[in-house]
Amino acid sequence: MRIVATDCGSTTTKAILIEEKDGVFRQTFRGEAPTTVEEPFADVTLGVANSVTELQELSGYRLIADDGTIIRRKSAADADGCDLYISTSSAGGGLQMMVAGVVREMTAESAKRAALGAGAIVMDTIASNDRRKPHEQIQRIRELRPDMVLVSGGTDGGDTKKVIEIAELIAPARPRPRFGGEYKLPLIFAGNKEARQTIERVFSGEGFALSVVDNLRPTLERENLGPARERIHDVFLEHVMAHAPGYDKLMTWANAPIMPTPGAVGDILQTIAKGRGINVVGVDIGGATTDMFSVFGGVFNRTVSANLGMSYSISNVCAEAGMDSVLRWVHLDMDERELRNRVKNKMIRPTTIPQTLEALVFEQAVSREALRLAYIQHKSFATTLKGVQQQRTVGDAFSQKEAGGSLVDNMALDLMVASGGVLSHAPRMEQTALMMIDAFEPEGFTEIAKDSIFMMPHLGVLASVNPRAAMEVFEKDCLVVLGWCIAPRGEVRAGRPAFDFTLRRTNEVVAQGQLIGGEMRLVRFGHGEVGMLEVRPERGLDMGAGPGKPVTREVRGGAVGIVLDARGRPLKLPTSAVERRACVEKWLKALEVYE
Amino acid sequence: MAKAYTPGLKVTARTTYRVRRLLPVSGDVRVKVGDGVSAETVVAETFLEGDVFPIKVAGMLSVNPSELMPLMLKRAGDTVQVGDALARSKGIFGMMKTEAKSTAAGTLESISESTGMVIIRGAKTPVQVRAYVAGKIIEVIANEGVVVETDALFVQGIFGVGGETWGTLMVAGKSHTEDLLEEHIDASMKGAIVVGGARMTAGGIRRAREVGVAALICGGIDDADLRDVLGYDLGVAVTGSEKIGITLLVTEGFGDIAMAKRTFQLLLAHVGKMASVNGATQIRAGVMRPEIAVPLGEASSGEIFTGGATAGILDIGTPVRIIRDPHFGLLGSVSALPEQPAVLGSGSKARVLEVALESGQRVIVPRANVELVGD
Amino acid sequence: MISSTLILCVISLDSSGASVVGLANTSITVAGSKADLRGKIPLNELGQEISAPPAAISISAEDVAWDAGGVIKVSWQPAAGTTSATKWIVERSEVLAAGQGAGQGAGQGPWTLVAEVPIAETNAVVSKLSPDASFFFRVTAVSPNGSSAVTTTKSAATGHWNFFIGAKLPLFCAILLVSACVIYFILAARRGRPMKVRRIAALEAITDAVGRATEMGRSILFVPGIQDMDNIQTVAGLTVLGNVSRTAAEYDAAIEVPTSRSLVMEAAREAVQASYLAAGRADAYNADAIRYITDEQFGFVAYVSGRMVREKPAACFYMGCFFAESLILAETGNSIGAIQIAGTAESSQLPFFVAACDYTLIGEEFMAASAYLSGEPDQIGSLKGQDVAKAIAAIIIILGVVLATGAAIAPQGAMPAALEWLKGVLGS
Repeated sequence: MRIVATDCGSTTTKAILIEEKDGVFRQTFRGEAPTTVEEPFADVTLGVANSVTELQELSGYRLIADDGTIIRRKSAADADGCDLYISTSSAGGGLQMMVAGVVREMTAESAKRAALGAGAIVMDTIASNDRRKPHEQIQRIRELRPDMVLVSGGTDGGDTKKVIEIAELIAPARPRPRFGGEYKLPLIFAGNKEARQTIERVFSGEGFALSVVDNLRPTLERENLGPARERIHDVFLEHVMAHAPGYDKLMTWANAPIMPTPGAVGDILQTIAKGRGINVVGVDIGGATTDMFSVFGGVFNRTVSANLGMSYSISNVCAEAGMDSVLRWVHLDMDERELRNRVKNKMIRPTTIPQTLEALVFEQAVSREALRLAYIQHKSFATTLKGVQQQRTVGDAFSQKEAGGSLVDNMALDLMVASGGVLSHAPRMEQTALMMIDAFEPEGFTEIAKDSIFMMPHLGVLASVNPRAAMEVFEKDCLVVLGWCIAPRGEVRAGRPAFDFTLRRTNEVVAQGQLIGGEMRLVRFGHGEVGMLEVRPERGLDMGAGPGKPVTREVRGGAVGIVLDARGRPLKLPTSAVERRACVEKWLKALEVYE
Repeated sequence: MAKAYTPGLKVTARTTYRVRRLLPVSGDVRVKVGDGVSAETVVAETFLEGDVFPIKVAGMLSVNPSELMPLMLKRAGDTVQVGDALARSKGIFGMMKTEAKSTAAGTLESISESTGMVIIRGAKTPVQVRAYVAGKIIEVIANEGVVVETDALFVQGIFGVGGETWGTLMVAGKSHTEDLLEEHIDASMKGAIVVGGARMTAGGIRRAREVGVAALICGGIDDADLRDVLGYDLGVAVTGSEKIGITLLVTEGFGDIAMAKRTFQLLLAHVGKMASVNGATQIRAGVMRPEIAVPLGEASSGEIFTGGATAGILDIGTPVRIIRDPHFGLLGSVSALPEQPAVLGSGSKARVLEVALESGQRVIVPRANVELVGD
Repeated sequence: MISSTLILCVISLDSSGASVVGLANTSITVAGSKADLRGKIPLNELGQEISAPPAAISISAEDVAWDAGGVIKVSWQPAAGTTSATKWIVERSEVLAAGQGAGQGAGQGPWTLVAEVPIAETNAVVSKLSPDASFFFRVTAVSPNGSSAVTTTKSAATGHWNFFIGAKLPLFCAILLVSACVIYFILAARRGRPMKVRRIAALEAITDAVGRATEMGRSILFVPGIQDMDNIQTVAGLTVLGNVSRTAAEYDAAIEVPTSRSLVMEAAREAVQASYLAAGRADAYNADAIRYITDEQFGFVAYVSGRMVREKPAACFYMGCFFAESLILAETGNSIGAIQIAGTAESSQLPFFVAACDYTLIGEEFMAASAYLSGEPDQIGSLKGQDVAKAIAAIIIILGVVLATGAAIAPQGAMPAALEWLKGVLGS
């Protein structure tokens, strides 16, 4: 079995070759070429062919025919060609959508979840209670140029008036699609089934291509995102892709539908979470935006933090977090005015890379804040359903919990996957690990890994065709295990013991010791090693089994090892600048972050 | 990848500059091919569709939406003024009738029987597109706009704020290394495009705005001063629509940095001519840099430039600008292009090059941290 | 929100005002000092007293200072030899115009008994006299052998009305302290000092409940209790109604308010209309949805539960004073699948609401709702100030309990004295 997979990004097209050898799937070669969607080429398949040509040169197999297409094998005995070709795409800014619903926190939020989960960028959410006057909403709809619109609202048998009202705002506003001209704006209706007829009448005019799917909130107690998500994928292929140069050709090449890149990443994370029965958080920090994925208790969520990124948006990160928040992670002397100018210079020249250690330290400090802010946004979006009836007993009198609490629980989190330039290209793995720990503040036992060459999109599509191959490659080649973070929840007291630990490898004690409040320690535990780690926290500190209760778990070694973090959660840095800098320096030294 | 494209900014003494002037929606083109235009000439105009005002008439009359139709006094397509009665309730025995009055003027577009909402479409707003640069119309795109061509001195900046403007080119200060201070600006510069040297100071910008300078062009600007001018901290570099009464354009970057000598001298040579400046910057996919064009007359130079990002290939001797600390802003030329990646001070591995600086010093920098200068 | 500030004022005025009135009407008895006269009494040979007891040597009457008037303290000096006497009789007479009165001292009227005190006492506090009227007093020692001669005050005494009642000084200090706390926190809140108010799930859930009604295309039912406007809970309930209807106006959901008092209907209409105006949707306000049903408790309940079963509102609010109907309403609401939020200070009804509703505001939370919902610095500050005052009261209660326990365990020692002192400070 030989599989070729490509991901057409906005600047580069990345190809990977996956081969089955001795019954095991491994990723063997990779190639890269500039994406060719824009003028003067205006044909995405050129870039695809170029990147696959690089695979061909490296592997020695002939993969590209003389006419520039990908060669298919007739049988496994053939020396040339591949058996399967799949692709994802985020070229041309990805899939841009506008969503609408009746109540912002209910159907509108479900619609947003469906769109984000399908890999779209949500440009705006229109709801009847978004505190905008109808004419302001119309103004906004007119300004946006979405590729697709998703309208939801009303439970089945519930509200029809407001969802039609929303539709009546969208119809005269006539949002102009990005592709202009003859392009009919695809509009998906996934609301109250009793409103369907009227909706069909409202959008019967020119300029809309309406399709109707099952309500994504048939009752407030249940969310049914599947049909809407699938329809978004279909419409993406039928309408959006069909208008992008060269995609019609690419679609005929591929053995599986072309997916939006983030949608594919979401799929592979869901597959992994389900396969291993764990809770996962994945992040992809880019130049302009940060994508955050999570699977908690089998529920998948994705958010895109527009304007939180490391180059185009770096200035925005500093503005939103505040320079003080960024600089708290820095242990070196830096001049603030100078830094502010440097941030702006990076913004206007986004392709530059840090040359000095000082510049690297600063960029990594900014990345911590970008990740932290993106995670906060993610937590507030990844919630249980709102508007649901609660069942109570008298015992709940003083502990009435609200509906719509966050699903994200750092204690229940098992695996964090890091990807994106600043994380995956950090010169030392320890830097990636610490950036993740500082930004996400994982609690208890958490494994940290990074995506080696951003292979997740490819594997996401592969999972829909050959899940076994996707899983095997994901575990063996895609993920680089950095190690584990062991951190207790609760406030530690500086200078007082926080927890004891013992690491055993088949009854042989590898390492043991005690962590003092505010301390960090690194235990090197190499790749492929497996051990049992016992942790005994002090009273009031929780390692997952409750305050003060000891926990023993199996841990796997990695490129960094086991990071013991006794800084407490939530993470608090000393307020005095001198003390804080000493602390940060101590931690960086303990983890050998900047040798 | 043996050869990689390196971004650069165009600074050229003479080029054929073409600019597309398009309407946002289709409309009428007012000029024809071959016409000579000045920056202010209106080349195309149209009307934008009016705003939409929804009015909940059924709610105002306290009737069911389905009962609204017979009560309507206006029909779809009717012209409506503010205060016009749109519908009247039946009342009791013909008494106590309530009227729903329009809160907007325009044309009645639709009446909904399911929600009781009436949509009024406001009057169309005129949109005009001007030529922006003095030159000749070489192409008319029917119903959309024109292409204007001129031979011009053309300089791309790195960053700007404020939109399109034009005026007489003037120079404040004496050299490209001199900061633009308050005293450099005087009342005679009203409506002019003023070129300063190094950094534009807060005082200089303030004075320029008081005087009514159309645009300021300098080497650098301080982040804090930009924040003062805008009133907020710029998060992403997508600009051009700011309403600050002046267009600011920097050619090198943020901080204390002198304008490239060549750029300064090129502009100096054309003092007194009309120049067009656009501060709009967009650093995203489809990059857009701010620009200065000084039309020089009709003689064609052969090379044609239509704006957008430029890029070239690095070779030994190529003039470059270093665009990242620790050597930020220094100019020089490529003196060596090692094939193998080198380990940087930060610990990262990257492909590098050696730059011979104007001072004679040679420094090693990552290839990603230089940009091309010159034509 | 002005109305809710007013409510807080009314609460404080009500409680303090009431106690001031009570204080004016209460007679104050000040324990007199006991004189031990034993061993000074002349006896006959048999050791028995032989005649009627001697009269008191002197008598004086004076106004008790720092009171509401009408209280006079009469003290006298007993003569030696009053052992057989069992009690003193204290009598008063009004001051009459000259020439009136029968055979007694000039201007002294008929005598009225005002107090009988044990013989060991040498004074008596006479209260409940007309303020600012003057009286003469006389005292007689009584023994089984007869009564002594009377001793009469030489001049009339007047129980003057004083501006300030001294006995309530600790209360006055307490009021000052509480007011100072409230003012301090209001000022602090106005200056932008962050005031943390515990998250109240029930109030946060209002948007959830209204949103549910909107999505399901159903109405919102709001019951402001079955009591009239003079009940503070009804007032608090209407404050919450203001917020609920504002949210409903923003979401464009229909709200229904059945009331069991006509006055409550009027107040509710005003609250809802104001909310619709504030939300900029005055056109959507419908006064007919807020109606009077009946004053009859169960007639009202029958209507509301019938309405609930027929209309199936998606959100039900019960905010006010409830009695037996609490469980009937809450169970009906639960059975139709509505999100229910209740709030009451009736402790006996709380368990029913907690069990049958999604969220319940309990007592204090309910009263604090207006401050919580508005988030205005003035209200939040006053809430915070009241909290501090409550904390002080709690500390005093704990202190009292500790002292009383201590005094019971060790009757000798400092504890009983400290307890007495505390009792004295807190007022009798």
